[in-house]
Amino acid sequence: MLSMAEVEERLDIWGNVFHFWELDEHGHQILWNLNIGGMHFEFIPKVMVMTWLTMILVALFAIVATRNMDMRRPRGVQNVFEMMFEGIRNLVNQNMDPQKGAGIIGVVITFFIFILFSNILGLVPTLSSPTANPNTTFALSLTTFALMYYYGLKYKGAGYFKHFVTPYVFFLPINLIEEFSKPVTLAFRLYGNIYGGEVMLIVLLGLFGMWADLLGGFIASVVWLAFSIFVGCIQAFIFTMLSIVYISIATADH
Amino acid sequence: MENFPNATLLAQVFHFILLLIFLKFVAYKPLTKLLSDRQKLIADSIAAAEQEREQAEQYKAEFEAELRRAREHAQEIIQKATKAGEEQAVEIIESAKEEAKRLKDSALVEIQREKDKAVAEMRDQAASLAILVAGKILERQIDDNIQHELVQEFVKEAGELLC
Repeated sequence: MLSMAEVEERLDIWGNVFHFWELDEHGHQILWNLNIGGMHFEFIPKVMVMTWLTMILVALFAIVATRNMDMRRPRGVQNVFEMMFEGIRNLVNQNMDPQKGAGIIGVVITFFIFILFSNILGLVPTLSSPTANPNTTFALSLTTFALMYYYGLKYKGAGYFKHFVTPYVFFLPINLIEEFSKPVTLAFRLYGNIYGGEVMLIVLLGLFGMWADLLGGFIASVVWLAFSIFVGCIQAFIFTMLSIVYISIATADH
Repeated sequence: MENFPNATLLAQVFHFILLLIFLKFVAYKPLTKLLSDRQKLIADSIAAAEQEREQAEQYKAEFEAELRRAREHAQEIIQKATKAGEEQAVEIIESAKEEAKRLKDSALVEIQREKDKAVAEMRDQAASLAILVAGKILERQIDDNIQHELVQEFVKEAGELLC
């Protein structure tokens, strides 16, 4: 039985070609450090690189899907993109006033496509999902949180803060916990599912030795891979759906 | 704070917003336009189809009325023709009957005339024969005049019998 680090090391064929990051003596990545105008910034290199890769793939997908679009007979990738777009737009329109929802359609569709591509990307051996890191998921869930406040204040003004003291002022602590648990649960649900999936993938690969692997020890990992595709799609959908619901609650008239 | 270096989260927010802006201009704008165009096209097609169907129904009604009129007209013509035919047939039968009656009448007249003629002739013949026979039998026992009177009487009787 191999440890996770050993499996990762054996899988990492890119290490010999590209060196995006270096490991310290404990096996941890050395952070990228950047100093701009006296401010010190630190980045996790793997997350950065994988995010860029995901962004490039999403951009390519979008470009391929929207070049030479045919209004009468949609074909191939255009169909897939249209299906995603229309499906999520319908979700938004069902959950909130279409006029209020028009602004968030772009954001939630980007959520869906980006999270979907991130989740699937992590299943490719040697790559990892940007969403398997809490920084990414918190970035996304805080975007939702910001949108909740933006739309709440836009449509209700200062009256939006009234929901902290409904139905009575004594509910303030509970409402506060509820309010701040929203982005936290959003972020940790996605992070936990995807990170757990990746860890399981590697653990299942390392569970059996070389000889067992030749006799079919990889099957467990392949089955888990299939399940992870499913989980990746579901999690992308759940994140999108919950974002829509949270924003629609913030804009809804009571 | 090993897992949360100070800028990675910010960088991810920045990445997301970058991707959002990129997709908005590259993908969502053209796609939204395409979808609304398609919706418009479908709505237009439906409207056009409805209009055409309405027009077709109108045409159909017109044609049906036309057909009904034509059928009525045809019926009328047939009726007229039938009536004329019947009238003509009656006329022909009537004239045939008249003709037959005329022929019969003339034939009867002819027969009567022939009969009268035959009767007169026979009367004469009978009278002459009788005179001849009587003369021969009686051999002048009676005067010629009386004889003739008798014969005439006899012939008259005979004629009345005959007629």
